[in-house]
This record gives sequence, C-alpha cells and structure tokens, in this order.
Amino acid sequence: MSAILLVAIPLLVAFLSILFKKISPYLLLGVTLFNIVLLLVLSDGFVVIGGFNQPMGINLLLDMYSRLGLLLINVLVFVIAILNLKKYEKYSSILLIAVAGLNGLILTNDLFNLFVFLEISGIAAYLITTSNKKPVGTFHYLVLGVVGSSLFLFGVIILYSMFGTLNMVGMIQEIQATNNYKELILPFILMFIGLGVEAKLLPFNSWAKGVLGKSNTLSGPMIAGVYAGAMGFVLGRLITNLFMFEGTLLTVVIVILAVGIVMGDAMAFASNKVREILLFSSIAQASIVALLFVNGVVIWAVYLIIANALSKTVMFLVINKATKDVGSDNVDKLKGLFSNNVVVGVAFTLVTLSVMGLPLLVGFVVKLNFLTVLAANNQIWLIAVILVAAIVEGIYFVRLLVKLWYPDGNEIDVKYNVSFKVVFVIIALALLSFGTYSTPLKELDNSVDTVMEVVDNG
Amino acid sequence: MIQYAAIILFVFGLYGLFTNKNVIKMIVSLNIMELGLNIFIISIGFVYDGIAPIITSTSGSGLLYVDPLPQALVLTAIVIGVGTTALALAVAKSIHNKYNTLDLGELEDIL
Repeated sequence: MSAILLVAIPLLVAFLSILFKKISPYLLLGVTLFNIVLLLVLSDGFVVIGGFNQPMGINLLLDMYSRLGLLLINVLVFVIAILNLKKYEKYSSILLIAVAGLNGLILTNDLFNLFVFLEISGIAAYLITTSNKKPVGTFHYLVLGVVGSSLFLFGVIILYSMFGTLNMVGMIQEIQATNNYKELILPFILMFIGLGVEAKLLPFNSWAKGVLGKSNTLSGPMIAGVYAGAMGFVLGRLITNLFMFEGTLLTVVIVILAVGIVMGDAMAFASNKVREILLFSSIAQASIVALLFVNGVVIWAVYLIIANALSKTVMFLVINKATKDVGSDNVDKLKGLFSNNVVVGVAFTLVTLSVMGLPLLVGFVVKLNFLTVLAANNQIWLIAVILVAAIVEGIYFVRLLVKLWYPDGNEIDVKYNVSFKVVFVIIALALLSFGTYSTPLKELDNSVDTVMEVVDNG
Repeated sequence: MIQYAAIILFVFGLYGLFTNKNVIKMIVSLNIMELGLNIFIISIGFVYDGIAPIITSTSGSGLLYVDPLPQALVLTAIVIGVGTTALALAVAKSIHNKYNTLDLGELEDIL
C-alpha cells in the first residue's frame, strides 16, 4: 500500500463513474472511506514514483502535517457527499476528481506537480460552482483561478531556471546553500499571489462573492470548507518551508494580510445577507491562517484551518438549506429559523461561538494559544488587529444568532433531514470536546515537522 | 531575448483580460497570456548551439543538448490550457443561453 493510491484510486474511479453513472455517488463514498482507512494505516515517509529518487523524480511526502490535511479533506467530502447523495448525484465524478486533485496538492513534493494538481482541483472547483446556476460567478472564478495558477507557474519556472530542480527538498537545500534572498523575491511573490487567489486572500478574492454568495448545499461547504482547508494546508507548507519572507517583503505581506482580516470582518459586519456574512468571515479567517504561517506558528494555524473547515461546512449547510427553502438569504427573511429547529440551532450556535473563539470551544483554545505565541514573539500590534477583528466578528455573529433564534413575527418552515442533524451535532460536539479537553492538541505539536526536519529524521 | 517577448505577450494577455468585457475576448486574452507563459517555459530550456535531446545510436556523449524538461512541462501546461479554455467556452455558452449576451458590462446592469 502506498500514498500514491490516495491520488490514483479517485482518478481511476472518476473515469469509471462516468461508465456507471447510477452507482457513482456510492463509488464516491467508497473511495473517500477507502482513503480515510488508508490514511490510518499508511506509515510516514517519501513515496518515490517510477524509481527516480530525489531530486530527479516526482515524489510525494506523507507526514503528520499532510496526514491531518488529507484526513480533513476526505472526511469532509464523505460527509458532504452523504448529505447531497440524491440532489447532486451528477456531480459525483467531479467530486472524485476534486478529491484526487486536493489529495495530490497536499501530498506532492514537486512544484510543477503542485501546479498540475492546482489546475485539476481548480477545474473540479469551477465545475462544482456550476451547480449554483450562476455562470457569471463561475466565469469570474475561472478567469481569476487561471490567472492565479499561471502566475504560480511563472514563479515555479523562474525558480527552476535558477536552481535546476523542481523538487521541494532539493530546492530548499539549494536556496539554503546559495542564500541569495533578493533574487527570490519575484518568484515567491508570483507563487504567493497564485495561491492567494484560491486561498481567498485579499485582494485576490473578488471571485468569492459571486460563488459563495450564491452557493448551495454542495458548492458552499465544498468551496468554503474543503477547498479553503486544502489551500490553507498548501499555503502553510510553502510559507513555512520554501518562501523566505524577510525584511521589507515580510512587512508588506503581514500588512496585506492584516488588512485582509480587518476588511473581511468589516464587510461581514456591513452585510445583511447570511451567506455574504459567512464568506467574508471565511476571508478574514484565511488571512489569519496565512498570517500565523508567516509568523511561524504552524500547529495552531493547522488547528485553525481544521476548526474553520468544520465550522464553515456546518454553517454553509444550515444556511444554504434554509435559503433554498425560504428563497432568500436575507437575515430578516431567516428570522426565527431555529425556533422550530432547536437541535440545528444549538449545533449552529456552538459552531459559531467556536469561530468567535468563546471559552469551552476549540476556537478559544486555538486563539488563546496562537495569541500567546505571537505575544512571545513581540507581535503586539498583530495581536491588537486580531483582537479588534474578533470583537467586530463577535458583534456580527451575535447579531446574526439573535435574529436566527427569535422569530419576531416572521414565520418560516425549514425541514432538515436526520442525516443533516446528525452531522451538525457530531461536528459541534467535536468542537466542544476538543475545547474542553485540549491535551491531545498540545501533544500533537511535536509530531508536526517541517519538510527538512522530516528529511533529517530519515 | 525571447524571454522578454514571452513576458510582453503574457502582459498583453493580462491587459486584454482586465480591459475587455466580452467573454470570448477575455478567453482569447487568457490564451494569449498562457501562450506567453508557454514560450517563457520553453525559452528556459534553450541552450545556444544545443541539439534536440534525443539519444540515438550515432550521437556521442560529448554533444550539447537543450534541456528537455521544460519541453515536457510545456506539453502538460498546453494540455491544461486546452482543458480550461474548453471549460471557459462552455461557461460562456451557458452565459449566452441564460442572458442572451456575452458582454459582462451589459450583465452588470441586469444582475
């Protein structure tokens, strides 16, 4: 058994699923389950493909960091596939391609291969957004996605011309040997912008409103949960291992990300549409994740990605189902949504409070720990920006929760299936459990190494 | 020198993308941009006086070859470009079917 199966099996089954359309949703469920089991039994290490060792051939890297990312992706796709089993069964083949692309993105140790997986997962994402029936939003997403990946490729090719390798380990070694930082600024900026488009970082995220603002129970959790999580992991891998943000460039990147946090929360505060509130909140959270990676806070950034992906999956599922039944995502039109759906309401409230970072929930543990690390690094003004953004976030989320709980004369009837309720409750309980008992989170800290640490440890 | 031409082509494509509102013209601009990028990739592997990187029974070991890797990379990039162009055209047709126009400027008034 090899980690290559995590990419090869979904790709193979994706083509087979076109021949066996009727069972394609079950093939998707089977493949994601297989991937989850495989991830639990595979051992860590590099996977050499075609017998070509580093730095000649393409190889994959399975370590604790990539294992966490892969588990998150496959579990979430499994859950989203179950909840959309009948309604979006035509999209099963596309979801299989998405799984192959995203698994490859996280696993690969080759920069050109990363571009290829970026495009594969990107094409799957554009197709997933066609389920919104808003082709203009899909077109904007496609154009920005292609420009982003082209800039990423531009950066990769410049690095190849400088170092003669595409292998990430080989390139890190070459960069350390030459130690010429100024020449690397251009390729790193190009690659960062390329990834920033998919990771929804300001100012490359103008596509998000047209896609997530009109999303449904498939596209919402897939783009805001699965894709955002995967891109967070990829961004983290590259920022902490390859990109050397120093001096002025470091300041510029930090300022752009800090502005992204403030702008995201400010736009969410100003919006009166629930889906827009959620998507702008996602933009702010993506900037926080990138900011943590830039400051070398890896493990808490990883937990933040996981907590956000789980939370946003629940939030988009709840709101998109309600929007479909009510016909609007205006906050006033959804007043009293939870008065007849207490279980869903409690789960949504717990998840929202976790995103806000309230005690007893995992969001609080993550926020407290990364703020402690930032304080130890003397990043006081960054802490101030994050705390101010958290206050704004708290205000708009509490305002949203109050409206969703109290009908105020507004009668709406939204029915959630049992499967939806089970998923919401499990995720909410998971966030609550790790919030109250956070020891396992702290223990995992030592298992997440950088790529070079993995190489050094053999 | 050819790298400058490739970068100019890439920038032309980007300029076209940001200044055009017609969906088809935007897709053409996207292709011009990708073409510039592909030429840039190929130019990276160029070696002056280098021959095609094919080992034959008559070729000796001391010959100078161009770098074959960028050629392999550009093939992949071209295939991906064709895929995204096909998808973009399908979305363009979907826009036309739904709104009876391909001009995003007109659509801004409708949406």
